Amino acid sequence: MDLKKIRKDVAVVGAGMTVFARRLQETGKEMSWEAAKMALDEAGLTLKDIDAVVLGSAPDAFDGVHKKGEWLLDGAGGTNKPFMRVYTGGGTAVFAPIAGWWHVASGMFKRVLVVCEEKMSSVQPHAQSAFAHIWDPILDRPLRPNLVWIFAMEMQRYMHKYNVRYEDIALVAVKNKRNAVGHPCAQLADPTITLDDVINSEPMALPVRRLDISPPSDGASAIVLVSEDVVYEHTDSPVWIEGVGWCLDTTMWTNRDLAFPKFLARAAKMAYEMAGIKNPRKEIDFAEPYDPFDYKELQHLEGLLLADPGEAAIMTREGKTQRDGEFPVCPSGGLLGVGNPIAATLGIKIGEVYWQLARKAGPRQVKKDVRTGVAQAWGDLMQFSAVVVMRRR
Amino acid sequence: MIERIEKATEIRHWLGDMEADHYYYSSGIAGEKFFVALRDEGQILGAHCAACNLTYVPPRIYCEHCFAELTEYKDMGKRGCVVAFTIAHYDKAGHRLEPPEIFALISFGPCTTPLLHRLGEVEPEKICVGLEVEAVLKPKKDREGKITDILYFRPR
Repeated sequence: MDLKKIRKDVAVVGAGMTVFARRLQETGKEMSWEAAKMALDEAGLTLKDIDAVVLGSAPDAFDGVHKKGEWLLDGAGGTNKPFMRVYTGGGTAVFAPIAGWWHVASGMFKRVLVVCEEKMSSVQPHAQSAFAHIWDPILDRPLRPNLVWIFAMEMQRYMHKYNVRYEDIALVAVKNKRNAVGHPCAQLADPTITLDDVINSEPMALPVRRLDISPPSDGASAIVLVSEDVVYEHTDSPVWIEGVGWCLDTTMWTNRDLAFPKFLARAAKMAYEMAGIKNPRKEIDFAEPYDPFDYKELQHLEGLLLADPGEAAIMTREGKTQRDGEFPVCPSGGLLGVGNPIAATLGIKIGEVYWQLARKAGPRQVKKDVRTGVAQAWGDLMQFSAVVVMRRR
Repeated sequence: MIERIEKATEIRHWLGDMEADHYYYSSGIAGEKFFVALRDEGQILGAHCAACNLTYVPPRIYCEHCFAELTEYKDMGKRGCVVAFTIAHYDKAGHRLEPPEIFALISFGPCTTPLLHRLGEVEPEKICVGLEVEAVLKPKKDREGKITDILYFRPR
């Protein structure tokens, strides 16, 4: 990585997101437009000001339309502009903003719109029908695995290797569903949820229970990225993207370290080096790690080098990761509390870090003064992570 | 491998498909207005963007060029003209279509986006760009709120 090749600093100046829910009526294009328009309005820009558009959306099989990027183009504001679609499964939520970042950091474009959309309610009988085709067709698929079983094995491996208690993992679901209460887009907020509710919820594939997972959802999110050359035309207090990183582990998921996400640690080190961060635990104030399952928040905090292996569970038990704790984690409410329309979780990762740093998070604003935050997403065949460090200078 | 295999199924293989059971596609907010008006009123609706002076047929809730929210729906009438057409003689499996099927883009006037549909009650050799046509709808009792509630467009 040659940091000298990065020509322009890049800032986020606006973000938008739709309600996350099963949205049978709206089309994916309509949701994309709603989120994109919100982001442009917050930035004080119109579509004419935008030089290029990046779209993020997970596999075509969810919406049931091939070339989903081109299909969503007009709702995402891409008509007659340089446009590209990227996807890395769930990791798209943070990887699409990274793609938007390099459009601006390269010096090619001054103002770029990044839109992420997912409509998982189209696929019948369930999104698992589409997920079934991410496996190796000869070795895995004849055994008919589904995602929950695979994650259950990863969760068990994590618990076994680092001696983590299920009760501490389940506390993540309680925290995030409560945090989401202040979020206007939340699907899964629950102000009264208790640890017993999670522990006693229906077993899916043990150790995973129903309330350990965020279910399928529909929605869209967007951000506006601008170059240092024009940023002060749009805001007096920019939120800068200071570091980006991404990395993939082997597709043979059986051959990975299932307890510790090494690929994430590599992605995080890349982002930290770019951001000039030497000691992430001291220099980062809060985090939005990807939390489609409660154990993933813990594993991702450890992969982000913000906790030692197994330590994130103890931090959770001690309340340190609460919104008013010493190191807030998922103050948005996360995927467990707000919802999980795969790529559209941009709004609760990059979007939330932006709103927190711009002090626009309203009832979700963390108590302590935060200057540096990290957003992370995870995806593809559970092998990919994207990391973005953002800062108010 | 230098042996030539004529039939793909002669090699060791695993049969699979990439399909879900099915999909639910929804028409969206503007699409709902379009199909309800077509079914109940026999109208073909468009949505107008005043800033761009462009009318989308079928309507949309946003203008893709300026991102304005579109709230002005109007009945485009049933009369339009042919912008482009083709006469299809074979279906996708290679079977001959008898009679041939005629597809056309129909414009409802200047500064409107054309609608894809079929032509009927017409001699293929008489079709030309600019041909004036009108929509033929199913009887009201048979209409379901689908694009096929319009049977075809015919010369007028």
